[in-house]
Amino acid sequence: MHDTPTISATSRERTGTRYSQRLRKQGRLPAVIYGHKKTPLSVSIDEKEILILLHSGAHVLEVKVEGGSKETCLVKDLQFGYLGDNVIHVDFARVDLDEEVTVNVHLNFVGVPESAKKAEAILTHDITELEVICKVNAIPEEIRVDLTAMGEATLFTIGQIELPAGLKATADSESPVCHISFVHQEEAEGEEVEIDSSEAEPEVITEAKTDDKDGDAKKESDK
Amino acid sequence: MPSMPKRIKFRKQMRGKLKGNATRGNYVAFGEFGLQSLGTHWVTARQIEAGRIAAQHFLRRQGKVFIRIFPDKPISKKPLETRMGKGKADTDYWAARVKPGTMLYEIAGVPELIAKEAMARIAHKMPVRCRLARRRLAV
Repeated sequence: MHDTPTISATSRERTGTRYSQRLRKQGRLPAVIYGHKKTPLSVSIDEKEILILLHSGAHVLEVKVEGGSKETCLVKDLQFGYLGDNVIHVDFARVDLDEEVTVNVHLNFVGVPESAKKAEAILTHDITELEVICKVNAIPEEIRVDLTAMGEATLFTIGQIELPAGLKATADSESPVCHISFVHQEEAEGEEVEIDSSEAEPEVITEAKTDDKDGDAKKESDK
Repeated sequence: MPSMPKRIKFRKQMRGKLKGNATRGNYVAFGEFGLQSLGTHWVTARQIEAGRIAAQHFLRRQGKVFIRIFPDKPISKKPLETRMGKGKADTDYWAARVKPGTMLYEIAGVPELIAKEAMARIAHKMPVRCRLARRRLAV
Protein backbone atom coordinates (compact mmCIF):
# COMPACT_ATOMS: atom_id res chain seq x y z
CA MET A 1 0.00 0.00 0.00
CA HIS A 2 1.42 3.39 -0.95
CA ASP A 3 1.24 6.51 1.22
CA THR A 4 -1.80 8.65 0.67
CA PRO A 5 -0.95 12.36 0.34
CA THR A 6 -2.69 14.71 2.76
CA ILE A 7 -4.21 18.05 1.82
CA SER A 8 -5.68 20.58 4.20
CA ALA A 9 -9.08 22.13 3.47
CA THR A 10 -11.14 24.92 4.94
CA SER A 11 -14.90 24.61 5.07
CA ARG A 12 -16.86 27.18 3.03
CA GLU A 13 -19.75 28.82 4.79
CA ARG A 14 -20.93 30.80 1.77
CA THR A 15 -21.28 29.10 -1.57
CA GLY A 16 -22.12 30.33 -5.06
CA THR A 17 -20.38 31.83 -8.05
CA ARG A 18 -19.32 35.15 -6.51
CA TYR A 19 -17.86 33.59 -3.36
CA SER A 20 -16.11 30.92 -5.44
CA GLN A 21 -14.59 33.61 -7.67
CA ARG A 22 -13.30 35.46 -4.62
CA LEU A 23 -11.68 32.24 -3.38
CA ARG A 24 -9.98 31.67 -6.76
CA LYS A 25 -8.55 35.19 -6.67
CA GLN A 26 -6.98 34.33 -3.31
CA GLY A 27 -5.28 31.25 -4.83
CA ARG A 28 -7.73 28.71 -3.42
CA LEU A 29 -10.02 26.31 -5.26
CA PRO A 30 -13.61 25.56 -4.25
CA ALA A 31 -14.27 21.86 -3.74
CA VAL A 32 -16.96 19.55 -2.43
CA ILE A 33 -16.74 16.32 -0.44
CA TYR A 34 -19.65 13.92 -0.83
CA GLY A 35 -20.59 10.26 -0.66
CA HIS A 36 -21.09 7.41 1.82
CA LYS A 37 -24.56 8.78 2.67
CA LYS A 38 -23.12 11.65 4.71
CA THR A 39 -23.96 15.31 4.20
CA PRO A 40 -21.97 16.99 1.41
CA LEU A 41 -19.33 19.41 2.63
CA SER A 42 -18.29 22.53 0.70
CA VAL A 43 -14.58 23.21 1.23
CA SER A 44 -11.76 25.21 -0.28
CA ILE A 45 -8.24 23.92 -0.93
CA ASP A 46 -4.91 25.45 -1.90
CA GLU A 47 -4.73 25.60 -5.72
CA LYS A 48 -0.97 25.07 -6.08
CA GLU A 49 -0.99 22.15 -3.65
CA ILE A 50 -3.80 20.28 -5.40
CA LEU A 51 -2.42 20.91 -8.89
CA ILE A 52 0.98 19.49 -7.93
CA LEU A 53 -0.74 16.39 -6.57
CA LEU A 54 -2.99 15.98 -9.61
CA HIS A 55 -0.09 16.42 -12.05
CA SER A 56 1.84 13.73 -10.16
CA GLY A 57 -1.04 11.32 -10.83
CA ALA A 58 -2.60 11.23 -7.35
CA HIS A 59 -6.17 9.91 -7.28
CA VAL A 60 -6.72 9.31 -3.57
CA LEU A 61 -6.11 12.01 -0.97
CA GLU A 62 -6.53 12.41 2.77
CA VAL A 63 -8.52 15.62 3.10
CA LYS A 64 -8.02 17.25 6.51
CA VAL A 65 -10.87 19.69 7.02
CA GLU A 66 -10.12 22.51 9.48
CA GLY A 67 -11.78 21.71 12.78
CA GLY A 68 -12.92 18.33 11.52
CA SER A 69 -11.67 14.84 10.95
CA LYS A 70 -9.54 13.43 8.11
CA GLU A 71 -11.47 11.90 5.23
CA THR A 72 -10.12 9.54 2.60
CA CYS A 73 -11.32 10.89 -0.72
CA LEU A 74 -11.10 9.99 -4.38
CA VAL A 75 -10.77 12.83 -6.89
CA LYS A 76 -14.03 12.14 -8.70
CA ASP A 77 -14.36 15.07 -11.08
CA LEU A 78 -12.67 18.28 -12.17
CA GLN A 79 -14.31 21.35 -13.65
CA PHE A 80 -12.39 23.48 -16.10
CA GLY A 81 -12.48 27.16 -17.00
CA TYR A 82 -13.45 28.68 -20.34
CA LEU A 83 -10.24 27.74 -22.13
CA GLY A 84 -10.83 24.16 -21.08
CA ASP A 85 -7.67 23.44 -19.12
CA ASN A 86 -7.57 25.54 -15.92
CA VAL A 87 -9.11 23.69 -12.96
CA ILE A 88 -11.83 25.74 -11.25
CA HIS A 89 -13.52 23.15 -9.01
CA VAL A 90 -12.75 19.72 -7.58
CA ASP A 91 -15.17 16.97 -6.56
CA PHE A 92 -14.02 14.58 -3.83
CA ALA A 93 -15.91 11.34 -3.18
CA ARG A 94 -15.55 9.68 0.23
CA VAL A 95 -14.10 6.18 -0.18
CA ASP A 96 -12.79 3.28 1.88
CA LEU A 97 -9.35 1.98 1.02
CA ASP A 98 -10.76 -1.50 0.35
CA GLU A 99 -13.58 -0.23 -1.88
CA GLU A 100 -13.56 -1.03 -5.60
CA VAL A 101 -13.72 2.06 -7.82
CA THR A 102 -13.52 2.94 -11.50
CA VAL A 103 -10.77 5.43 -12.32
CA ASN A 104 -8.88 6.73 -15.33
CA VAL A 105 -5.15 6.09 -15.06
CA HIS A 106 -2.58 7.88 -17.24
CA LEU A 107 -0.64 5.70 -19.71
CA ASN A 108 3.11 6.22 -19.84
CA PHE A 109 4.35 5.06 -23.25
CA VAL A 110 7.93 3.75 -23.25
CA GLY A 111 10.09 2.72 -26.20
CA VAL A 112 9.67 2.89 -29.97
CA PRO A 113 8.33 -0.16 -31.83
CA GLU A 114 10.26 -1.57 -34.81
CA SER A 115 7.41 -0.78 -37.21
CA ALA A 116 7.51 2.92 -36.22
CA LYS A 117 11.17 3.18 -37.29
CA LYS A 118 10.23 2.66 -40.95
CA ALA A 119 10.12 5.62 -43.32
CA GLU A 120 6.83 7.58 -43.41
CA ALA A 121 5.51 5.71 -40.34
CA ILE A 122 3.51 7.69 -37.78
CA LEU A 123 2.87 6.36 -34.29
CA THR A 124 -0.50 7.62 -33.03
CA HIS A 125 -1.73 7.12 -29.48
CA ASP A 126 -5.48 6.48 -29.64
CA ILE A 127 -5.84 6.77 -25.87
CA THR A 128 -3.62 8.39 -23.25
CA GLU A 129 -5.49 7.14 -20.21
CA LEU A 130 -7.17 3.86 -19.37
CA GLU A 131 -10.33 3.29 -17.35
CA VAL A 132 -9.69 0.56 -14.79
CA ILE A 133 -11.57 -1.07 -11.93
CA CYS A 134 -9.47 -1.62 -8.84
CA LYS A 135 -9.35 -1.23 -5.09
CA VAL A 136 -8.70 2.30 -3.86
CA ASN A 137 -5.40 1.34 -2.24
CA ALA A 138 -4.20 -0.25 -5.49
CA ILE A 139 -4.69 2.74 -7.85
CA PRO A 140 -1.36 3.31 -9.62
CA GLU A 141 -0.09 6.81 -10.47
CA GLU A 142 0.45 5.65 -14.07
CA ILE A 143 0.50 2.50 -16.17
CA ARG A 144 3.70 1.81 -18.04
CA VAL A 145 3.16 0.65 -21.62
CA ASP A 146 6.20 -0.84 -23.30
CA LEU A 147 5.74 -0.30 -27.04
CA THR A 148 8.83 -2.30 -28.01
CA ALA A 149 6.63 -5.38 -27.48
CA MET A 150 4.72 -4.35 -30.62
CA GLY A 151 7.58 -5.42 -32.87
CA GLU A 152 6.55 -5.36 -36.52
CA ALA A 153 2.82 -5.11 -35.76
CA THR A 154 0.93 -1.91 -36.54
CA LEU A 155 -1.67 -2.16 -33.77
CA PHE A 156 -1.33 -2.33 -29.99
CA THR A 157 -4.49 -3.25 -28.10
CA ILE A 158 -5.66 -2.91 -24.50
CA GLY A 159 -5.32 -6.67 -24.06
CA GLN A 160 -1.57 -6.37 -24.73
CA ILE A 161 -0.98 -3.95 -21.83
CA GLU A 162 0.64 -5.59 -18.82
CA LEU A 163 -1.64 -4.31 -16.06
CA PRO A 164 -0.42 -4.27 -12.44
CA ALA A 165 -1.98 -6.88 -10.15
CA GLY A 166 -5.54 -6.10 -9.04
CA LEU A 167 -6.37 -3.88 -12.00
CA LYS A 168 -9.02 -4.71 -14.59
CA ALA A 169 -9.61 -2.63 -17.71
CA THR A 170 -13.26 -1.79 -18.39
CA ALA A 171 -12.81 -1.37 -22.15
CA ASP A 172 -12.80 -4.19 -24.68
CA SER A 173 -9.44 -5.96 -24.87
CA GLU A 174 -9.45 -5.56 -28.66
CA SER A 175 -9.74 -1.73 -28.48
CA PRO A 176 -6.66 0.04 -29.87
CA VAL A 177 -4.18 1.81 -27.60
CA CYS A 178 -1.93 3.00 -30.36
CA HIS A 179 -1.44 2.30 -34.03
CA ILE A 180 1.05 2.96 -36.77
CA SER A 181 -0.09 4.53 -40.02
CA PHE A 182 1.88 5.38 -43.13
CA VAL A 183 1.74 8.78 -44.80
CA HIS A 184 0.67 8.82 -48.44
CA GLN A 185 2.70 10.84 -50.92
CA GLU A 186 -0.11 13.32 -51.73
CA GLU A 187 -0.99 13.96 -48.11
CA ALA A 188 2.63 14.52 -47.19
CA GLU A 189 3.17 17.09 -49.91
CA GLY A 190 -0.02 18.86 -48.88
CA GLU A 191 -0.58 20.47 -52.27
CA GLU A 192 -3.80 22.12 -53.28
CA VAL A 193 -5.84 20.29 -55.93
CA GLU A 194 -7.99 22.21 -58.39
CA ILE A 195 -11.60 21.05 -58.61
CA ASP A 196 -14.39 21.76 -61.05
CA SER A 197 -16.88 24.39 -59.95
CA SER A 198 -19.73 21.94 -60.70
CA GLU A 199 -18.32 19.47 -58.15
CA ALA A 200 -17.85 22.26 -55.60
CA GLU A 201 -21.61 22.67 -55.10
CA PRO A 202 -23.00 20.62 -52.23
CA GLU A 203 -26.22 18.65 -52.68
CA VAL A 204 -29.26 20.51 -51.27
CA ILE A 205 -31.58 17.94 -49.66
CA THR A 206 -34.74 20.07 -49.56
CA GLU A 207 -34.43 21.07 -53.23
CA ALA A 208 -34.10 17.43 -54.30
CA LYS A 209 -37.35 16.65 -52.43
CA THR A 210 -39.28 19.48 -54.12
CA ASP A 211 -38.06 18.27 -57.53
CA ASP A 212 -39.44 14.80 -56.80
CA LYS A 213 -42.78 16.27 -55.72
CA ASP A 214 -42.97 18.29 -58.95
CA GLY A 215 -42.14 15.17 -60.91
CA ASP A 216 -44.88 13.18 -59.16
CA ALA A 217 -47.43 15.97 -59.73
CA LYS A 218 -46.60 16.07 -63.44
CA LYS A 219 -47.03 12.31 -63.71
CA GLU A 220 -50.44 12.53 -62.05
CA SER A 221 -51.54 15.38 -64.35
CA ASP A 222 -50.42 13.36 -67.41
CA LYS A 223 -52.60 10.46 -66.27
CA MET B 1 -8.84 21.54 -51.77
CA PRO B 2 -10.92 23.69 -49.40
CA SER B 3 -13.48 21.52 -47.64
CA MET B 4 -17.26 22.05 -47.59
CA PRO B 5 -20.29 19.93 -46.68
CA LYS B 6 -21.36 17.21 -49.12
CA ARG B 7 -25.09 17.60 -48.43
CA ILE B 8 -26.91 20.58 -46.97
CA LYS B 9 -30.53 21.21 -46.07
CA PHE B 10 -30.70 24.82 -47.21
CA ARG B 11 -28.52 26.64 -49.74
CA LYS B 12 -28.24 29.91 -47.77
CA GLN B 13 -28.07 30.76 -44.07
CA MET B 14 -28.60 33.84 -41.95
CA ARG B 15 -25.48 35.42 -40.51
CA GLY B 16 -26.17 34.66 -36.85
CA LYS B 17 -24.24 35.86 -33.82
CA LEU B 18 -21.12 34.46 -32.21
CA LYS B 19 -21.55 35.01 -28.48
CA GLY B 20 -19.63 33.63 -25.51
CA ASN B 21 -16.93 31.02 -25.30
CA ALA B 22 -16.66 27.54 -26.76
CA THR B 23 -18.18 24.90 -24.51
CA ARG B 24 -17.56 22.01 -26.87
CA GLY B 25 -14.41 21.09 -28.76
CA ASN B 26 -12.39 23.19 -26.33
CA TYR B 27 -9.79 20.63 -25.24
CA VAL B 28 -7.09 18.49 -26.84
CA ALA B 29 -8.84 15.22 -27.68
CA PHE B 30 -6.88 13.41 -30.40
CA GLY B 31 -3.29 14.63 -30.47
CA GLU B 32 -0.80 15.72 -27.83
CA PHE B 33 -0.74 19.42 -28.64
CA GLY B 34 -3.45 21.72 -29.92
CA LEU B 35 -3.88 25.18 -31.37
CA GLN B 36 -6.60 26.96 -29.45
CA SER B 37 -8.43 30.06 -30.57
CA LEU B 38 -8.48 33.06 -28.25
CA GLY B 39 -10.93 35.08 -30.30
CA THR B 40 -14.18 34.94 -32.20
CA HIS B 41 -14.22 34.76 -36.00
CA TRP B 42 -15.46 33.00 -39.10
CA VAL B 43 -12.50 30.93 -40.30
CA THR B 44 -12.83 30.30 -44.03
CA ALA B 45 -12.25 26.95 -45.72
CA ARG B 46 -9.26 28.49 -47.52
CA GLN B 47 -7.68 29.59 -44.25
CA ILE B 48 -8.20 26.12 -42.75
CA GLU B 49 -6.59 24.55 -45.82
CA ALA B 50 -3.70 27.07 -45.76
CA GLY B 51 -3.05 26.13 -42.13
CA ARG B 52 -3.02 22.43 -42.95
CA ILE B 53 -0.60 22.91 -45.84
CA ALA B 54 1.69 25.12 -43.74
CA ALA B 55 1.85 22.48 -41.01
CA GLN B 56 2.37 19.55 -43.34
CA HIS B 57 5.10 21.33 -45.32
CA PHE B 58 6.91 21.96 -42.05
CA LEU B 59 6.34 18.52 -40.54
CA ARG B 60 7.62 16.69 -43.64
CA ARG B 61 5.91 13.33 -43.11
CA GLN B 62 6.34 13.36 -39.36
CA GLY B 63 3.42 13.29 -36.98
CA LYS B 64 -0.27 13.60 -37.70
CA VAL B 65 -2.32 16.78 -38.03
CA PHE B 66 -5.96 16.76 -36.93
CA ILE B 67 -8.30 19.55 -38.07
CA ARG B 68 -10.93 20.09 -35.38
CA ILE B 69 -13.09 22.65 -37.21
CA PHE B 70 -15.20 22.25 -40.33
CA PRO B 71 -16.51 25.01 -42.59
CA ASP B 72 -20.23 24.28 -42.62
CA LYS B 73 -21.56 27.84 -42.85
CA PRO B 74 -22.23 29.23 -46.34
CA ILE B 75 -21.31 32.90 -46.65
CA SER B 76 -22.99 34.76 -49.51
CA LYS B 77 -21.60 37.81 -51.30
CA LYS B 78 -23.14 40.09 -53.91
CA PRO B 79 -21.12 40.50 -57.15
CA LEU B 80 -19.25 43.77 -57.70
CA GLU B 81 -21.13 46.76 -59.12
CA THR B 82 -24.51 45.18 -58.40
CA ARG B 83 -27.44 47.26 -57.18
CA MET B 84 -28.86 46.41 -53.78
CA GLY B 85 -31.92 44.21 -53.55
CA LYS B 86 -33.01 41.37 -55.85
CA GLY B 87 -32.67 38.83 -53.06
CA LYS B 88 -29.84 37.19 -51.19
CA ALA B 89 -26.68 36.56 -53.19
CA ASP B 90 -25.11 33.21 -54.00
CA THR B 91 -22.66 31.46 -51.66
CA ASP B 92 -19.16 32.89 -52.04
CA TYR B 93 -17.27 30.74 -49.56
CA TRP B 94 -17.70 28.40 -46.60
CA ALA B 95 -16.62 29.19 -43.05
CA ALA B 96 -16.35 27.60 -39.61
CA ARG B 97 -17.63 29.48 -36.59
CA VAL B 98 -14.83 29.87 -34.05
CA LYS B 99 -15.25 31.08 -30.48
CA PRO B 100 -12.63 31.66 -27.74
CA GLY B 101 -11.50 28.23 -26.59
CA THR B 102 -12.22 26.34 -29.83
CA MET B 103 -9.48 23.84 -30.62
CA LEU B 104 -8.54 24.50 -34.25
CA TYR B 105 -5.83 21.94 -34.97
CA GLU B 106 -4.11 19.13 -33.09
CA ILE B 107 -0.79 17.43 -33.68
CA ALA B 108 0.31 13.96 -32.56
CA GLY B 109 3.52 11.99 -32.83
CA VAL B 110 6.09 14.80 -32.78
CA PRO B 111 8.25 16.34 -30.02
CA GLU B 112 7.04 19.53 -28.35
CA LEU B 113 9.52 21.86 -30.10
CA ILE B 114 8.45 20.69 -33.55
CA ALA B 115 4.76 20.84 -32.62
CA LYS B 116 5.24 24.40 -31.32
CA GLU B 117 6.86 25.55 -34.56
CA ALA B 118 4.21 23.84 -36.69
CA MET B 119 1.45 25.45 -34.65
CA ALA B 120 3.14 28.85 -34.97
CA ARG B 121 3.07 28.44 -38.76
CA ILE B 122 -0.61 27.54 -38.67
CA ALA B 123 -1.35 30.48 -36.36
CA HIS B 124 0.05 32.86 -38.99
CA LYS B 125 -2.67 31.69 -41.38
CA MET B 126 -5.49 32.13 -38.87
CA PRO B 127 -7.64 35.25 -38.56
CA VAL B 128 -7.73 34.91 -34.76
CA ARG B 129 -5.18 35.05 -31.94
CA CYS B 130 -4.21 31.53 -30.93
CA ARG B 131 -2.27 29.72 -28.24
CA LEU B 132 -0.64 26.31 -27.84
CA ALA B 133 -2.65 23.89 -25.68
CA ARG B 134 -1.71 20.58 -24.14
CA ARG B 135 -3.79 17.66 -22.91
CA ARG B 136 -5.66 18.56 -19.77
CA LEU B 137 -5.69 16.71 -16.45
CA ALA B 138 -7.91 13.64 -16.31
CA VAL B 139 -9.22 11.74 -13.30
